[in-house]
Amino acid sequence: MSSSAENPTLTAEITKPSTEIATETAQSAKKITLKTSDDQIFEVEESVAMEFATVKSFFEDAPSSTDTVPLPNVPAKPFSQVIEFCKEQIKFKANPDETEKKRSNSEFVKEKTNEDLVEMIPVANYLEIKDLLDVLNQAVADRIQNRSVEYVRSFFGIDNDFTSEEEALLREEHAWAFEDVDED
Amino acid sequence: MAVLSSRYEDMSLHVLPESCIANVLSFTCPRDACRLSMVCSLFKSAEESDVVWERFLPLDYQSIISKSDASSMLLASASSKKHLYLMLCEKPLIIEGGKKSFSLEKKSGKRCYMLSARDLTIVWGDTPPYWRWNSDPSSRFGEVAELISVCWLEIRGKINATMLSPATLYTAYLVFRPTGGVYGLDYHPVEVRVGLVGSESGKRNVYLDSESGCKQQYHFVRRHTRIFNRGRIVGMPASEPARESDGHYPKKRGDGWLEIELGDFFCKEGEDGELEMSVQEVKSGNWKGGLIVEGIEIRPKEGK
Repeated sequence: MSSSAENPTLTAEITKPSTEIATETAQSAKKITLKTSDDQIFEVEESVAMEFATVKSFFEDAPSSTDTVPLPNVPAKPFSQVIEFCKEQIKFKANPDETEKKRSNSEFVKEKTNEDLVEMIPVANYLEIKDLLDVLNQAVADRIQNRSVEYVRSFFGIDNDFTSEEEALLREEHAWAFEDVDED
Repeated sequence: MAVLSSRYEDMSLHVLPESCIANVLSFTCPRDACRLSMVCSLFKSAEESDVVWERFLPLDYQSIISKSDASSMLLASASSKKHLYLMLCEKPLIIEGGKKSFSLEKKSGKRCYMLSARDLTIVWGDTPPYWRWNSDPSSRFGEVAELISVCWLEIRGKINATMLSPATLYTAYLVFRPTGGVYGLDYHPVEVRVGLVGSESGKRNVYLDSESGCKQQYHFVRRHTRIFNRGRIVGMPASEPARESDGHYPKKRGDGWLEIELGDFFCKEGEDGELEMSVQEVKSGNWKGGLIVEGIEIRPKEGK
């Protein structure tokens, strides 16, 4: 798999406008190499990688490290989508525009499948990307809003592990929450 | 590197960790979260976590609860944030020295208040021949106001909109009950209004007297035949059903009291005006009486 992380035009856009990160500009050409759980190698702009709090604190502990950073819980597919999100995000760090950011975030989740969203959540959680987690949680919450238990099981790919007695009890206890649920 | 890998080794690839599920559920609403506890045992355990219910409780719930004499008892008996939430839904909390009650609407977690009769402005309220103050075991409050007899009926309640949930459509209700001897309120509507102080908002006419189911059945007929001899109507069969659902007649509440809609109010984000609710019948010049007023309740409009 070729990493989609490098994009020369994007790099120029990111580093140019901000005076605040001007001191970092010299370093921002630096790439960080990350290895996913399925052994894919990603070369990512340092500014993008620093969006991953987990990776950032790794480099705070070992600033001069040039090693490949292993991401043992991160498969390549959701990771490339996470990178896509973070590249958009750092644009807004340089040029804060809340309306545009919201639009961009909703655009990002709109084109993702249910499976994409569910797969990205543990990655965003592991990499500690709070903005992305909030966006994903909200997107999933919107998609499962007023949906049936059965729908949500298939949404998350989860099997029911309750006995029918347990299930009946829970349904009775929360009867008020089962009225007028959307049809699957 | 070792640090990175060891910290998260237990995380499997395809099953979301419980904390992630709890986070997702905290972005839903109380009703969705409760229903989805049935997805599987992992969801159930995530749904019960404080992370979820802390977000469903109002941001300032601690400060609201602290206004109650029962606050420490409530907090001590709540085994979790979910338990606290459900307690606040099921039993209104008496706050501000008995002047108001606070509760949460179960499906949404939005704030509901009832202003006790003592928290209302009742014209002639402190003049014994007209109004009387009683204690009533069926009321959540220590005192209720009994309307003995007045010509000028005027009741007003005010609440600051900052106390309400933002971006929410509310409905206000007068909560009351007829005594055995209600009179003067069957033919004459009362004028009700809900709106910010200083704003123009529509007034509506409603009827407070629907003492018994039987009498209510005749409402429609009676109002349209009132030019005729009243005696003739008594034995008349109900030719049209009572219009209970249009908000012009009182409805029975779960707690045994009646309520009549006073009007709606959309509480905008950041609204800080004072909301006023009023009930008056000062135009007919007739005497009327025989009501017990518990208070004015304001809660999210049903079905919204």
